[in-house]
Amino acid sequence: MRKPLVQPYPKDWFLRTRAYRLFMLRELTSVCIAGYLVFMLWWLYQLGKGDTESFRSLLSIAKHPVSIGLHTIALIAAAWHSITWFNLTPLVMPMRIGEDRVPNVVIAIAMGYGPWLAVSGFILWATLR
Amino acid sequence: MPEQTITLDVFRYRPDEDERSTIQSYDVPYYEHWVILDALNWIKDHVDGTLSFRWSCRMGVCGSCGMMINGDPKLTCAAFLKDYFPRAIRVEPLVNFPVERDLVIVMDDFMSKLTSVKPWLIRDDTRPMEEELLQSPSQLAAYKQFSMCINCLLCYAACPELDGDPDFLGPAAIALAHRYNLDSRDQGTAERQDILGAEEGVWGCALVGECTAVCPKNVDPAGAIQQAKVAVTKDWYKRLLLPWGKR
Amino acid sequence: MSHLTKTNEAFWWSLFSAGGVMAALFLPVMIFVTGFVLPFMMGEDVESQRDRMVSLVTFWPVRIALFGIIFLSSFHCAHRIRHVLMDFGLRWAGVALMICCYGAAAAGAVAAGLILVRL
Repeated sequence: MRKPLVQPYPKDWFLRTRAYRLFMLRELTSVCIAGYLVFMLWWLYQLGKGDTESFRSLLSIAKHPVSIGLHTIALIAAAWHSITWFNLTPLVMPMRIGEDRVPNVVIAIAMGYGPWLAVSGFILWATLR
Repeated sequence: MPEQTITLDVFRYRPDEDERSTIQSYDVPYYEHWVILDALNWIKDHVDGTLSFRWSCRMGVCGSCGMMINGDPKLTCAAFLKDYFPRAIRVEPLVNFPVERDLVIVMDDFMSKLTSVKPWLIRDDTRPMEEELLQSPSQLAAYKQFSMCINCLLCYAACPELDGDPDFLGPAAIALAHRYNLDSRDQGTAERQDILGAEEGVWGCALVGECTAVCPKNVDPAGAIQQAKVAVTKDWYKRLLLPWGKR
Repeated sequence: MSHLTKTNEAFWWSLFSAGGVMAALFLPVMIFVTGFVLPFMMGEDVESQRDRMVSLVTFWPVRIALFGIIFLSSFHCAHRIRHVLMDFGLRWAGVALMICCYGAAAAGAVAAGLILVRL
């Protein structure tokens, strides 16, 4: 007579292996990015008031160590999102030329890292010029 | 008998006697050229004939000797003792499957998932059987990687999302569906779309990526699933924008 | 396979993917600008700093781009957070979880639209 045994799966599986932890780290970048988006809304709202006083308060908050700390965390999380996203692009959108697959590095650079560099450079130039 | 031995901590479950699993330790002769499957066969031949496990080809083709080795899904015919020596090796059945006995898992659920994606060439014409369906080398290259699967189920054991939704089709079945969808001779994409586009289809995947990492045949099921997501999404928008159109 | 559940996950996934691209391309440099360039790299004259920032952000193509970035990135985050919560064992919450996550993203997108139009 058959009596199959069903084994329980660990509820904390995402802490169990390095690969699972890296996966969860990648997914959790979204929490930091969501937090920054909320800040961005407030930032635009404050800028939209237009008067110098509102802008001064915006600046003084931006210079506060807490802001610097949170921005640093958000920047690391966002950059980690970018890197993992671009590295997975060839998986989602592979390309072939005839029988040969275009190397993953080429796709990641052409569709990810290249545009990333261009966009970042352009925005920095537009704000600093 | 060589001078050195290695310990195997083996998962045991005897359905006729046990209510739960136990771990039984065996000391096995250590040879550099032995794989874990050799050690298991030595135990079965010399120590304990009741130990049950599946195996056949001993060369990474049949896909039947997959087990959890120290918690990682591996083909035991390709996992050498020397990579673990001198520490003990924990040998358990693949996770995400019910255990039939000892290291033997129940595959019934997987088999029905596999057939549900219609893994064969579907044709809507009635051309005679003797007529060839020609295919160019680049058309073959488009799907060849996804056709290398040996159904060893390491990818199912590596997938944490299967625990949350046991009905999730899973890596190998979706990779095989994608393989036929990419085949220039196949015309069954629309027929497979209902199952691939269901919640139990591609949407059970959160791209952990471990299925691809553990695959002994470099099938890249994670890639297949993401590409199938893109295809299913295009199809969803097509149905939304052109509800009267032919699918 | 006993049953199939119909789903519009394709729609949410397309927003997630588009948002993922937007966030990957734009957010690191935007964080750098609001967190480090503006307070430390734009000189001491507050008036001219404000004028430059305002003229940059009120330029219409920039407003539209900012709306696209915030709208899509919000849905990207909502989708990921929903799946993380499912992985953490909240799969049973199903539709309620969707309403919370995507509802928050939609609220953020509406707020972004209103703020950007009134800048």
